[in-house]
Amino acid sequence: MTSPALALTVSENPQDSRGPVDGVRTYARLSILVTISIITLILATLIIQSGPAILSTSDSLLTTQWKPSEGIYGILPMIFGSLFVMTIAMAIALPIGGFAAITVSRIKSPRIKRLWRSALEILAGIPSIVYGLIGVAYVSIWVASAFDLQSGRIILSAAIILSVMILPTFLSLCEDAISSVPAAYRENAQALGLQDYEVELYVILPAAAPGIASAALLALGRALGETMAVMLVIGSLDRIPSPLFNPLSSGQTITSKLGREIGESAFGSMHFSVLVLMSLILVALTISLTVISQRLFRQGRRG
Amino acid sequence: MRIFLPLLSVLFSSLSLLACSAPDRLSVSGSTTVLPAVSRAAESYSANTGQRITVNAGGSGSGFNQLAEGQTNIGMMSRDITNGERAQFPSLTFKTIAIGRDAVAPAVSSEIYTAGVTALTLDQIAKIYRGEILNWSVLGGPDVDIFVIDKEASSGTRQTFMDVVMGSSKADAAGADLVIGSNNEEQTALTQSNAAIGMLSIAWLNEDVKGLSVIMENDKRIAPTLESVKNGQFPIVRDLNIIVRNDISPAAQGFVDYILSEDGQKYVTASGYIPIR
Repeated sequence: MTSPALALTVSENPQDSRGPVDGVRTYARLSILVTISIITLILATLIIQSGPAILSTSDSLLTTQWKPSEGIYGILPMIFGSLFVMTIAMAIALPIGGFAAITVSRIKSPRIKRLWRSALEILAGIPSIVYGLIGVAYVSIWVASAFDLQSGRIILSAAIILSVMILPTFLSLCEDAISSVPAAYRENAQALGLQDYEVELYVILPAAAPGIASAALLALGRALGETMAVMLVIGSLDRIPSPLFNPLSSGQTITSKLGREIGESAFGSMHFSVLVLMSLILVALTISLTVISQRLFRQGRRG
Repeated sequence: MRIFLPLLSVLFSSLSLLACSAPDRLSVSGSTTVLPAVSRAAESYSANTGQRITVNAGGSGSGFNQLAEGQTNIGMMSRDITNGERAQFPSLTFKTIAIGRDAVAPAVSSEIYTAGVTALTLDQIAKIYRGEILNWSVLGGPDVDIFVIDKEASSGTRQTFMDVVMGSSKADAAGADLVIGSNNEEQTALTQSNAAIGMLSIAWLNEDVKGLSVIMENDKRIAPTLESVKNGQFPIVRDLNIIVRNDISPAAQGFVDYILSEDGQKYVTASGYIPIR
């Protein structure tokens, strides 16, 4: 994108700036190359390393039993856990984030808005291990006493922590989407005599919908990839909850499984390969979420 | 370019400096049970010799893998290397060196202990872990469900415990309600619950986390104390090991020798374990 502009500068000033500009351009191109090759390398490694697991004739992969010592690697509990935790986290974060974004978008004072933004940035910048520690020290205990459980290290606690962690991402993108709805929409709706809530609900939200959806998908991607905080509070039990949708039981996500076991598995072993396969599934999910959200975002811009 | 070249060269030279200084620093990693003794010894060894040592937690399984893959100089394991682990690296030879002895005690939340459950037979413990005994009232305790805490499969504590209690170090614990990783995590989970049972190295027992006595077949109750480990009465014991490869560096060998020396063994005692000599 930048190279035509750079080329222009060169043709205007051919004598004195050719050297440095050429250097910058080469450096920029090199950077792109390095970035692309890192991504390719990661994907290639994941695919190659998960090869043994994909090609294995063992049919234990799609079962619920995980017993590395017996060569049984059922990945269903982890996949279910990841999707389940993510769903609950989104169910908590979306309404809160959505309403907060509407409220913030109505704030007129730029100073309060700035304050608000920096608060969000701080929230987003807190390392995930800190959230995990808060989860172990407080949230899991609150959840345990609220539901009268022996331990609060359960799927629900992990989901609550996750929902707080994805809130800043979702909220700020959501607010951007709402704020970028042209002011004329609101003014017209108000001129037509609509109530405040009608303006937001029937005019602003539909207009911002693609942006909000893409914000939600990006938050979802973050929720899927979060490791440390989830690992500390989810209970690490490789079982599908029973009954199936019981958020009060311990569980395991793909990321918490990887965090717990990747160091224990020998490089190149079947154990390792299955763990890599799970991360490949995770990466595939995250990439598709990102692609879809970018599409939606572009749609929102056009509309 | 005029700016970039010096910048780059500075970057690369600092990188190569890092690479050069790396071998000087010894790295030890693995079992969180062995860690307290080794890190205390490392501190004093560093103070005496100037040798820099990094001691990392990670668990027995991780300690083995890191040593095998050359990421660490010395591994710590609270169990033996399994045949399966050796088979994964057929070209390497490993040496296991015991630096102390330890016992794994069945541990319960203090509420259960005060309520009167202070000793169990190995069979009762096995039934709890198999999910056959579900309530403390069966064992003379209060009428609450037993909260069963299991550990990661590669944990040395778990393998020692399961080997004695269930008859196999890889035994399945169908009754488990929670799986955790390290001794710290186990301690926290036991403290936070009021009806939990878990397994804990005796050095980690405290006021909130009580170790149960084991009722032997002759009805004798053996408490998990240093004394009963020393005289061989407590049934769930193990060696605390450090492991090295046969291509060990002289610097690493120096530290191993120090841990085994009279001076180094003091730190095994200070950590609540029994010295090997």
